[in-house]
Amino acid sequence: MIEFYHVSKTYNGWPALHDVSFKIGKGEFVFLTGPSGAGKTTLLRLIFRADAPDKGQILVNNRNLLHIRESEVPYLRRMIGFVFQDFRLLPKRTVFENVALALKVSGVPEGVLRVRVAETLGAVGLGHKLDAMPMALSAGEQQRMCLARAIVNDPQILLADEPTGNLDADLSGEILELMKSANARGTTVVLATHNRELLKRWRRRVMRLEQGRVAEDGCPET
Amino acid sequence: MTRLRYLLREAVDNIRSNRTTTFVALATATFTMLAMGVFLLLYLNVQEALGSLREEIKVIVYLRDAVSPQAVSRVRAEIGQDPAVAGTEYVSREQALATFRAQFPSEERLLSGLGDNPFPASLVIKVSPAYRSSEQVRELVQKLNALSETEEVLYSQDWIENLAVALRYLEVLGLGIGTVLAASMVTILANTIRLTLHARREEIEIMKLIGATTAFIKTPFVLEGALLGGAGALCSLFLLRTLFGLAEAKLALRGTFWGIGRGLVFLPDRMTVAFLLLGIMLGCLGSVVSLLQLRGTRS
Repeated sequence: MIEFYHVSKTYNGWPALHDVSFKIGKGEFVFLTGPSGAGKTTLLRLIFRADAPDKGQILVNNRNLLHIRESEVPYLRRMIGFVFQDFRLLPKRTVFENVALALKVSGVPEGVLRVRVAETLGAVGLGHKLDAMPMALSAGEQQRMCLARAIVNDPQILLADEPTGNLDADLSGEILELMKSANARGTTVVLATHNRELLKRWRRRVMRLEQGRVAEDGCPET
Repeated sequence: MTRLRYLLREAVDNIRSNRTTTFVALATATFTMLAMGVFLLLYLNVQEALGSLREEIKVIVYLRDAVSPQAVSRVRAEIGQDPAVAGTEYVSREQALATFRAQFPSEERLLSGLGDNPFPASLVIKVSPAYRSSEQVRELVQKLNALSETEEVLYSQDWIENLAVALRYLEVLGLGIGTVLAASMVTILANTIRLTLHARREEIEIMKLIGATTAFIKTPFVLEGALLGGAGALCSLFLLRTLFGLAEAKLALRGTFWGIGRGLVFLPDRMTVAFLLLGIMLGCLGSVVSLLQLRGTRS
């Protein structure tokens, strides 16, 4: 599903990733860990084609990202849901409109869109706040809303960049549960976090980055 | 259909969220288009008048007083054989006097001072359409002047040709002014759209990240430009029609315009539609100019 071959990426001379290679299979759940500046966000941005690598090859769903045209990028992104650390919500749009936008850009008909948005927001516990404005929500609710926007179009891949960074333990647990549900439906999940508690709660493959390199990759022993 | 509705709603939202800027842009578009419209109307009416004058090119041969009716018939027959002549009309001294009295009843005193009928008999010659160039008319006038019965020949060809030259200058001037006005309208609309783009840059960024195509992101801004340009053109047409009506009434030109024989003309329907489309097109162009800055940005 996601394959990196000797990928390197430098920002202003500073190596964010260096010679990184790995494979993530379809339906896998992978925790991406490491200290701040280890390259977690860079790695996710490369999968998302928000950036291009300086060296190496990246394959997503058997498509080499180095060879896709700029006009094909939106279609790649539609099969990837992204949960941003800073939420990236539209403050002047309602909760419903924020989530619906992910379907609107794909041209989903209005009737289908209404049902799917309502269902998804219901699944993340925001079914009663369709008309609320994002700023009126708590941090946990905003993060769930961001997650709803990422999964509303049933993406094949779900990338999450520190989705629990601003949340307490209970709320973090809720977000993790929602991601586990998405994964159970067949979505490949890559969750970047430095929250060790999450790793203990659900023992899955952990890929640890350090100074832009894969320092450890495997499933911790129970 | 859903997408189209969404894109249109986005365009309207853009306009509503930026009311002051939009108002300034709309006012500018309106007055720019109005200036273009005034120029277009001026051009159209001069052109119309010229066409009307060209149709009525006439050469008047004033005959000597001593010419007998038989000589007039002979001269008419002779002139009528010339291919440059489409027709001749004899105006007797009495008819000329009667016409003057009918057209200028207030100048009766002028006539009484002159005593006998001062008007000469004349032949009004209509020039064939194929012989209306300056050279050809001048040639005909030379022939007419050579006739022994001719006292004087008058014709309006020269100043009609001068008017045609002036019209061509007006065309070039209009094109120049039109281009400058269009460019200023595009620039101002582009700046308006740029402000909207700036206000919504975060939203645009997010839309890119969730898989919106460039067309999906840019179309509302192009529609916004089209709406502003179209609305500007529509307002200017309304103002133009109002000003046209006032001018018509003020100059009392409903009957004839400087005696040319036709009234003032407004933009014909086709040109009105083209004028509207021009507004829409200039609006779109303004948007495209401002959207060029979105190119090449990666997120």
